[in-house]
Amino acid sequence: MTVRTEWDHKWSMVVDIDRCTGCQACVVACQAENNVPINTEDIFKQSRAIEWIRIERYWEGEFPDVKARYLPAMCQHCGNAPCEPVCPVYATYHNDEGLNVQVYNRCIGTRFCANNCPFEMRFFNWWQPVWPESLRNQLNPDVTVRNRGIMEKCTFCVQRIRRAERTAIQEERDVKDGEFAPACVQACPTGTLVFGNSNDPNSRVAQLMKSDHPRRYRLLEHLGTEPNVVYLKKVDPYLKEEAHNGSH
Amino acid sequence: MDLTRRRFLQLSGVGALGAIVFNGCSIPETELEIQSPVLIPEDVVAGGESWYASLCRQCPSVEGVLVRVVEGRAKKVEGNPEYPLNLGKHSARCEAALQELYHPDRLQQPFRRDGATGQNKPITWDEGLNELVTRLKALRDAGQASRVLVITDPLRGHLGKVTQLFAAAYGAQHLAFEPMERVVLRQAIKDVYGQDRLPHFDIGNSAYVLSFGADFLGTWVSPVSHSVAYGEFRQGEGRGRGLLVQVEPRFSMTAASADRWLPVRPGTEGLLALALAREIIAEGLADPDAARALTDGRGIAALDAYGLERVADDTGLTTYFGKERAVQLIQEVAHDFATKRPSLALGGDTAAAHTNGLFNLRAIYALNYLVGSVGAKGGVIFNPPSPIDDVPDTASGAPLSRWQEVAERLQRGEFDVVITRGVNLVHGLPGALQFQEALKKADLIVSFASVPDDTTAIADLVLSEHVALEAWGDDIPDPAPGYQTVGFQQPVVRPLYDSRAFGDVLLAIAPEIGDDLGAALPWNTMQDVVKEGAQRLFALNRGWAKATAPFDAFWVRVLGGGGWWDTTAISAQKAPGASKAPAEPVRPSFAGDASSDAFYLLPFRSHALLEGRNAHLPWLQASPDPTTTGVWQTWVEINQKEAERLEIREGDLVELVSPAGAIEVIVYPTPAAAPDVLSVPMGQGHASYGRYAKKRGANPFQVIAPQKDETGALAWAATRVVIRKTEKRTRMIKLEGLVEARQMEESPVIQVTRGEEGS
Repeated sequence: MTVRTEWDHKWSMVVDIDRCTGCQACVVACQAENNVPINTEDIFKQSRAIEWIRIERYWEGEFPDVKARYLPAMCQHCGNAPCEPVCPVYATYHNDEGLNVQVYNRCIGTRFCANNCPFEMRFFNWWQPVWPESLRNQLNPDVTVRNRGIMEKCTFCVQRIRRAERTAIQEERDVKDGEFAPACVQACPTGTLVFGNSNDPNSRVAQLMKSDHPRRYRLLEHLGTEPNVVYLKKVDPYLKEEAHNGSH
Repeated sequence: MDLTRRRFLQLSGVGALGAIVFNGCSIPETELEIQSPVLIPEDVVAGGESWYASLCRQCPSVEGVLVRVVEGRAKKVEGNPEYPLNLGKHSARCEAALQELYHPDRLQQPFRRDGATGQNKPITWDEGLNELVTRLKALRDAGQASRVLVITDPLRGHLGKVTQLFAAAYGAQHLAFEPMERVVLRQAIKDVYGQDRLPHFDIGNSAYVLSFGADFLGTWVSPVSHSVAYGEFRQGEGRGRGLLVQVEPRFSMTAASADRWLPVRPGTEGLLALALAREIIAEGLADPDAARALTDGRGIAALDAYGLERVADDTGLTTYFGKERAVQLIQEVAHDFATKRPSLALGGDTAAAHTNGLFNLRAIYALNYLVGSVGAKGGVIFNPPSPIDDVPDTASGAPLSRWQEVAERLQRGEFDVVITRGVNLVHGLPGALQFQEALKKADLIVSFASVPDDTTAIADLVLSEHVALEAWGDDIPDPAPGYQTVGFQQPVVRPLYDSRAFGDVLLAIAPEIGDDLGAALPWNTMQDVVKEGAQRLFALNRGWAKATAPFDAFWVRVLGGGGWWDTTAISAQKAPGASKAPAEPVRPSFAGDASSDAFYLLPFRSHALLEGRNAHLPWLQASPDPTTTGVWQTWVEINQKEAERLEIREGDLVELVSPAGAIEVIVYPTPAAAPDVLSVPMGQGHASYGRYAKKRGANPFQVIAPQKDETGALAWAATRVVIRKTEKRTRMIKLEGLVEARQMEESPVIQVTRGEEGS
């Protein structure tokens, strides 16, 4: 058997806003999978809550025609990632599978990357994360616990990607579409989040990411960071009528 | 031996005790023990993972889950892709089952509270059970078995059967408690469809969903199952996009996801439903038989009380939208509901929680007859009875009227022993009942608990209970997914502490209390009971694991798959047809200040903490509320303009005062609230429930007046409150930033790229 070292993988995500209900299943799934410290009341007070994926809620319109829009937001794994060139120690770099990677044991905590991220998707460990002894039993052994002074962010659950790739190598095959999913995608009850290899034109994610998809957009696209996460717009069948009635 | 994932799942069903056969380290002390590879059971591979199918017990819907276990520790909960209810998906609540298992404040052994000093003294299980058995035996021998009261959460499946058998054989009273019971919903389903079980709401195949008050994507009935269907409803392949209209006075998670939100005045949901019925019939769009039945053959004249303009005024829609648009909106909803078929009307939560709750729900569910959606794809699909006939497949909390009666009887000293399990009566009953004081009149309060809560705090004897991930059990989902389903719950880790399962304790003490009790409960453990249930399923010789024999192979297979289901076993029952609509509406009545200074109080279940049962779990405390993004606290949502008028702003602490009491909450002005409504999340306000919940926020049950509807159920949305300002301020803790987040205007993006060389 030849050991495979190169893959034609570009891991990408599609977020269909029209399905999202803001239920927070993805957020907690991510925290459980990735050993994210407990966001205590104090941490929230300091606006330093760590949520690798978060649900941003936006308002549209005024009562009674008010709408809430939910936007699941995570590291966009940008093709032209502004966080990468500013890291003095190459703790963050782009790998050949489309991932914006964070190497914890290189990070020296300059926070330049977070400063340069237009999406505010990077989180700095201002304190040593603490869990009560018994809760440490839950920590995922596949994921490093980050220390004080280290930057962290969404990895697209790289440990799951590696596991799937290792299994594929053992079984001498390619990774199959839908064979695995990051924790958020796995949890998402409504199917808002879709993950896969966008280099495979037959993958579900590639189909949904097509440039001619009528609802396609990317966050802060005008900045030219080439996000690797594609959003599909919310459909609002009554928008014109409400605009006509003066609520917009 | 080749250990595949499937093999791991199967292994959990065999082994000496039938429980988990691995020998992993589950507490830190054993962490450093060196284990011999020769002695390690075969499903423990150093660094390897096992996945066990089980059930999640963090909310009443009970999803099927797979739990990842690495070296004896549970690491992750995920939805079981094969379980029909949730199809591989799960909620934030399911994940937090791990934090319940490893909660730092879990009870590690039973204890006895000294009545005089109030000190807790750790005791052994033998001591605890001796006291309980001696007491129960003495009462029974004296012919006073009825002075024992057993209160549990609503129990389905074999634990329900064991508890019922125990109570019946002993002669005790057994009552089920859930803070926001579904008595009205069940009665309405019985009245309108003749069904004892909740039906399957086929959202995934529906083209138009009209929901009255039911926050079905958030917390109502079976939210994960509904959410999976909702994803299909919106953007499922090979179908058009469904439309969702939410009629609800509060801006719930479901209202936020709806295409249209109609914020009607609380308690007028049934009025609107009948106005829609009248309009559908008037337009000639209704099923003729249903229209005839609903109007008693008199045509729309029978529904004169529900004229469009009148209902537009009464529901408050005129106030918010203007008369012309309000009428147009009702007409539009009626027309779309009748023409965009299959359409589905459902109702619950705030629509049911009024003094006229049953009137509202009957009117709402009758709408499905008019559009042919009863017993049809994309509509209401009836559920078949349990495949195991003497096992409860539905369970509902007792209505408020029963609790009032119990409180009075407790006060009169009519109960000597009260046994509670899985219920927090002190927190979850309206404060006006003063249930805590009543409970203290009992000589002996026995509480089964894993993390001590407000009710445990007043118990005399506290018995440490397994959490779901350590215990055997099963569940018959209610509502089932339209066909017969039984889920199996198996322990995924070895019990961490000196705890026991509630069912096992009942089985153990029964023969000690009396031979007849032992005969009524002839099993040794819950595992035996569950296994016997599986044997009965095996004997049916149908379902997905049908061809698997002998029984041992079947047992391993259904445990590994998470349950048994038979997609062909559907309900054969026919709907009784629509019945005559009431000629005059039943109006809601409210406790509290009727003046214009008062607001309607709409308490709501937190998406994560529910009524409070999950408040001890830090992931869920830190899970932002979908609409306000608030965490860790109790706030009141108030219309922005109304807040300006009252000169209160975000972070102000105000008191909400009702005839039942007052609570202090944080002001959160929002654009998504009707001007005359205040919404307050439930979940907080625990005097005791572990370090993450204790003395945090306020409990809305303290201000809910004990109003009832005709079923005797608590009308928890029928209280009006006034705002009393305090001089205090704090910071509202939320994910949202300091500036209100508004959608940006869309604009085209121009991309500047480098041209070809020389061009």
